Amino acid sequence: MEDYVRPEDSAYSKNVNRIVTLLFILLSAAVFLPVLLVFIVSVSSQNSVTAAGYSFFPREFSLEAYRYLFRSGQYLIRAFFNSLFITISGTLLGIVFMCPMAYALSRKEFRFRNVLLVFILFPMLFSGGLVANYMVNTQILHLGNTYLALILPGLCSAWYILIMRNYFQDSLPDSMIEAAKLDGCAHPQILLFIVVPVSKPVLMTVAVFQVFYYWNSWYPSLLYIDSNHTDLYPLQYVLVNMERSIETITRDAQYLSGMQSYTPPAVTIRMAMVVVVILPIMILFPFFQRFLKTGMTIGAVKG
Amino acid sequence: MRKKKISRKESRELTLLSLPAVIWFLLFSYLPIFGVAFAFKQFTPKPGESLFRNLFVNSPWTGFSNFSFLLRSSEMPKILFNTLFYNVIFLIAGIVLPVILAIFLTELHSKRISGFVEMMLLLPYFLSWVIVGYCLYGFLATDEGQINHILQFFGRNAVQWYQSPAYWRGILILIGLWKSTGYSMVIYLCAITAIDRSLYESATLDGAGFLDRTRFVTLPQLKTTISTIFILQIGSILTSDFGLFYQVPLDSNSLQPVTQTLDVYVYKALMQQANFSYSAAASFLQSSVGCILLILSNIIVKRLNKE
Repeated sequence: MEDYVRPEDSAYSKNVNRIVTLLFILLSAAVFLPVLLVFIVSVSSQNSVTAAGYSFFPREFSLEAYRYLFRSGQYLIRAFFNSLFITISGTLLGIVFMCPMAYALSRKEFRFRNVLLVFILFPMLFSGGLVANYMVNTQILHLGNTYLALILPGLCSAWYILIMRNYFQDSLPDSMIEAAKLDGCAHPQILLFIVVPVSKPVLMTVAVFQVFYYWNSWYPSLLYIDSNHTDLYPLQYVLVNMERSIETITRDAQYLSGMQSYTPPAVTIRMAMVVVVILPIMILFPFFQRFLKTGMTIGAVKG
Repeated sequence: MRKKKISRKESRELTLLSLPAVIWFLLFSYLPIFGVAFAFKQFTPKPGESLFRNLFVNSPWTGFSNFSFLLRSSEMPKILFNTLFYNVIFLIAGIVLPVILAIFLTELHSKRISGFVEMMLLLPYFLSWVIVGYCLYGFLATDEGQINHILQFFGRNAVQWYQSPAYWRGILILIGLWKSTGYSMVIYLCAITAIDRSLYESATLDGAGFLDRTRFVTLPQLKTTISTIFILQIGSILTSDFGLFYQVPLDSNSLQPVTQTLDVYVYKALMQQANFSYSAAASFLQSSVGCILLILSNIIVKRLNKE
């Protein structure tokens, strides 16, 4: 990424810069407040929440909610691994499906290039709608109550294919690919051994967007997973169904601890679960930011 | 340009490479398009028969009657109004706010700080609506919510937020902007960074101050980016973010007058009322109006930019 304005070019004098900086930092803090509140509540004690509510300044800290989550047994651990499984397999499979298409579209000599471009762009303009998607996925493809329902519908996107295609076109010299052809490489080999290794930035960009998409997805579960298949729930959907989830968690924990009378800190558990979902995002975010930005710029400029 | 000869083998290889994605698009984008028929049929499935048979043989065509019933239903004016109301506000604020923020952020002296601010404003975009719903719940919960505790501290009465529609237009707009502003801002930041610095330098030599430079250099240079985003937004003017209007208000019944938008209707008609025809008719309306507007606004913006 190019640099911003150099200080000596900036329109701000030193004092103005101080004020604007302060305002932006205040804005950032304000934007972060809702997330911070969740963090703080998750480490507050149940008594503190009962007395002072969801407060930024709890009277008493406690890790009870987390201890509870870790002891809750099957249900949550399973949901966590479901989320992880969906995220990893969806992202990898998506790249495997989209990257070869992007490569084919980037080759000017490819006969079906324009036809396929229209083919992938048309659905952006017009789609069958929710009913049609739902009926096809449940009654024709029979995806209801399977992991595939959570993975397949979001696998490809014309947008990402275009981002990759543009990268292949702009940053890979034709001569390189011609040379490989002269050496007797077939296109799949060229893609795998020449194009992919030098295209890591754009592959990472698409992968990062997909990781966020799958980690955050809950709508497919709402549509395709019914309440008899809680073992397929990803974390996000467990949160959607919080009330029922808390019951299950309580039952699991009571069963495991053998204490029937034990009541969980329900209010703080909710927020602790939200933290379990946000934390990976927050940790990975600074590393991912560069790739996100690349993707967003390519998308905006070439769109 | 010299036309390259391409061998049959190469052509076959490239076709093969595109095959997985082609199959995916056929199954998940093109196969459902036949489902547009749901909007023009009265769906009367017979158990045990295939979807195609049920839809095309067992269900009678009803022409546009689904649409006329849908549009005349008592809740539809409210739903359409809500959808348009929020979208127009998001359309305008979603361009003005990020552009202003981007312009002011670019001029910061410290790159470290502007990078940090960028990250903080971008973060909400990558949280799911479920998470956002919980963050908001921390503030608005009736008994434990932060805001009610503050109200009580000052001797005011607690508000049952999830039962009071009056506040929710404001809340939803605020949340919507909170989540999306950072993302648009980064797009504009990148566009500003790409502007040729010499334009600014010559403007400064001509005696232009910060405002003049913004007005005569930055904004005209951002025109392409802004109009691209504008066109895309216009195309989805009847489409709303399902999560924002369904999950963030926790699907509260008393909030429906202000939270019901077309996407929420499409979902509820399908999953809660099993009313396939109306749901499909509503989606078809969204899709076709969006498609037409997208093409129209594209033509208009192109013509305006030429002048």
